[in-house]
Amino acid sequence: MNRAAMREARREPGCAHNAKKKDNACPRPTPGKAAGGCAFDGALITLSPITDAAHVIHGPIGCVGNTWNNRGSLSSGPKMYRVALTTDVTNEDVVFGGEKKLYKAVREVIRNYNPPAVFVYQTCVTSMIGDDIGAVCKALTEKTGVPVIPVEAPGFTGTKNFGNRLAGGALLEHVIGTREPATAHPYNVNLIGEFNIAGELWLVLPILDKIGIRVICSLSGDARFERIGMMHRANVNMMVCSRALLNVARKMEEKYEIPYFEGSFYGSGNTERSIMRMCELMGDDALIARAREVLADERARVAPALAALRAKLSGKRALLYTGGVKSWSIISALQELGMTVIATGTKKSTEEDKARIVELMGEDARMIEEGAPEKLLAIFRGEKADILLAGGRNQYTAVKARLPFVDVNQERHTPFTGFTGHINLGRKLLDALESPVHALACQPDPFGAVEALP
Amino acid sequence: MAGNTRIKDHNEIFHEERYAKTWEAKRAFEHPCDAAALEQTRQYIRGDDYKDKNFAREALTINPAKACQPLGALLASVGFAGCLPYVHGSQGCAAYFRSHFNRHFKEPFASVSDSMTEDAAVFGGQKNMVEGLKNAYALYKPAMMAVCTTCMAEVIGDDLNAFIKNARKAGSVPEDFPVPFAHTPSFVGSHVTGYDNMMKGMLFNLSAGEPKAEKDNGAIGIIPGFDGYTVGNIREIKRVLSLMGVDHIILGDNSGVLDTPMTGQYSMYYGGTTIEEVKKAKNAKAIFALLPDSVDKTTAPFVKDEWKSTMVSGPAPLGIAGMDAFLLKVSEITGKDIPAELETERGRALDAMADSGYYLHGKRFAIYGDPSYVEALVEFYMEMGAEPVHVVITNATKRVGKALTKKWADKPFARGVTVHNGADLWHLRSLMISDPVDFLVGGTHGKQLSREMDVPLIRIGFPIFDRHHLHRYATFGYQGVINILQWSVNTLLDDLDRKSLPFNNDFVR
Repeated sequence: MNRAAMREARREPGCAHNAKKKDNACPRPTPGKAAGGCAFDGALITLSPITDAAHVIHGPIGCVGNTWNNRGSLSSGPKMYRVALTTDVTNEDVVFGGEKKLYKAVREVIRNYNPPAVFVYQTCVTSMIGDDIGAVCKALTEKTGVPVIPVEAPGFTGTKNFGNRLAGGALLEHVIGTREPATAHPYNVNLIGEFNIAGELWLVLPILDKIGIRVICSLSGDARFERIGMMHRANVNMMVCSRALLNVARKMEEKYEIPYFEGSFYGSGNTERSIMRMCELMGDDALIARAREVLADERARVAPALAALRAKLSGKRALLYTGGVKSWSIISALQELGMTVIATGTKKSTEEDKARIVELMGEDARMIEEGAPEKLLAIFRGEKADILLAGGRNQYTAVKARLPFVDVNQERHTPFTGFTGHINLGRKLLDALESPVHALACQPDPFGAVEALP
Repeated sequence: MAGNTRIKDHNEIFHEERYAKTWEAKRAFEHPCDAAALEQTRQYIRGDDYKDKNFAREALTINPAKACQPLGALLASVGFAGCLPYVHGSQGCAAYFRSHFNRHFKEPFASVSDSMTEDAAVFGGQKNMVEGLKNAYALYKPAMMAVCTTCMAEVIGDDLNAFIKNARKAGSVPEDFPVPFAHTPSFVGSHVTGYDNMMKGMLFNLSAGEPKAEKDNGAIGIIPGFDGYTVGNIREIKRVLSLMGVDHIILGDNSGVLDTPMTGQYSMYYGGTTIEEVKKAKNAKAIFALLPDSVDKTTAPFVKDEWKSTMVSGPAPLGIAGMDAFLLKVSEITGKDIPAELETERGRALDAMADSGYYLHGKRFAIYGDPSYVEALVEFYMEMGAEPVHVVITNATKRVGKALTKKWADKPFARGVTVHNGADLWHLRSLMISDPVDFLVGGTHGKQLSREMDVPLIRIGFPIFDRHHLHRYATFGYQGVINILQWSVNTLLDDLDRKSLPFNNDFVR
């Protein structure tokens, strides 16, 4: 494995965890606790939404079996990314090495699909048996002319977030800056960390279109390989999921002098602020004026619906348990709907994320570092919350405990970004709160076996 | 707008004009490709040249219909009372398994990992085991922890037996706290192998010290096997055995924990086989495995050689003949009669089969899944007069493939069948293009094929992420016959209605 690259990723200066302690690279998981995804998972979810590329997992069956098509990242065109490709490493390969099998497998991918590029993912096993995927990919690129990119993020190297970063590193090293756009445009942005879950990117694009901003590439929701190569031609980078791909934005600032900022499209306030910031960084008065106009139109378009939702949601208390950027960006979306956020999960948040939480929720902001189900339920009950917003793995726990629940993670089917997305979010919340099934479940049963909730 | 709380999901919303326009612009900017070239490629990937190329693959697996060992191990161990599945190795694997079961059963699924990292890759995972068992024991208060491994620990060669002993010595868990274990490398076998290995680990560990009685206790033990319908099937088998008055022990009864009621309380543990029951099973009359592929390699030999018990390994009690064989064997071993109620149920199932026969008789189908399940389903569909054509079993060995081919060689409805052991769903795609079928049987992963071929998918298999509640239904027993029949015929009728011409959109089918 490329030790230097790994070390550099660990020391990512943009990451606030490293400011506190050297070479820390984000907290390590505790043995014996229910843990989240691994570095491989992080790398795969970062790159697998690149829709036209082939994604080959060099590892045993589990790594592909558990990940095949499991991300709600949508494509407006190519479907290559939905095909599960693996070398299905077996006992024999573990003993004799898997490099030849990988070489052959990628040749077969190119022969069968002729994709614009192939990403090859290292896994625990193939890393430990010493397969040099970097060398194999290099040989393949030279032989076939198709870019074959090694993604060296075996699961054991760290958490999902660390894997995000390693994937970003692979793009910086092998892809970004290798292509040029066919046409010039005065205002170009990249949306780094926008994964187009349930089509979230698509809710934002028409607004940017109207203002006249060209999105060169969203990394990596509904992305095409070619576009990633052109990312260096952007005027501004927006970081949509703060921690995930910080290194990409920082390095691009260093190398191509592209300024970046952290923003969010959750909630109409955030959307407006992010788009305005984007325009300000491009420093063109006409553009800023046009943006103001378009955003005012959008705001007016959704105002009645949002007001109606606010009337019903006002004063409701939400418990938020989600990772990363959503820990703060959804807070303001909820507050704009008149809700109070009583606590938020910060397992995957950066120090900056936490500072923002304090800014939004005040000094007494309650942060939940670790989310054992009992603990989460205790806080919910103790703080008299009305609704839980969390990811899919918590959904069924919440159901058992009879908590109104909204899924804000990657399995959901409703986009929450932009102005329309804000309405969607409000309605989802209202649906959960007003669910007749929930009401029925909270009544005492007629046989007296189950007590009513207080 | 104010009163309207309808939410448009991604299927509807992006048909609106503003999004359609953006898409078009995006496409033009991205990678314009002319329609003729696209069509040419479309034709090419449906041709024989492409099929040859596809079948010439040696190193590449595309869309495999199998999962890894530890996933099966978890499904086995979670069926024991108070058991917390513990994954020794990389943390990501445990997170994947939880999501996988969440999505299939729509239930919480508890499991922990000892999160091995690079240091562990170099020095071995003993430290993680000591710390992990300690933390999990303190945090989640299980009655036992079942340890399986990921590839990572297996490549290093971690010795679970020694590690667990040392962890006990270090005080991670009390001396007498049960920690069954199994080595479950993902690069060997599949999820059914993992189920097998873990089941043996559970039985071995939990029955240790129990003396073998001279006379059996009259009960029978049941090993359900790796089964996506485990909830419905275990309940059905229990019901049937109770009707017969047969004392029975389900070994690995996960029908409780994977279908808990909504009570307002969340508990990690619910129901399951107790240690006492496992001990009792050691002296049972016989142990029945409902799915032979889930016990054949490790558990069955263990039951025969170590427990010195009679092992009845299949056939699966699925379809009329399968269930008949199961009941006759139970009756033979326990000496209990088959009650009239079950005969009546059998009659009802046959009646249902006759009612729907017309829609399945003579229909050609493709099927994929795990060896025992596929075998049983093919037998059932042949009882209905349907004709298997492509049988794809990614996790079948050559031996299994040959045995099935031989078994079906002179069956009248199986004249057109080919068994493809070790093949994947991309092979199946080529097969379905060159030799089209009327329907496809399998889990959720078949939906891409179903759509491309415009062939209805009858969802029977694992995983099923995109339909709800199927796991609550039985596929076993005479009731299972009716369930499978109901899904099959109604899926075909939905398809018929969707495709029927205006003059044939009949009310009566």
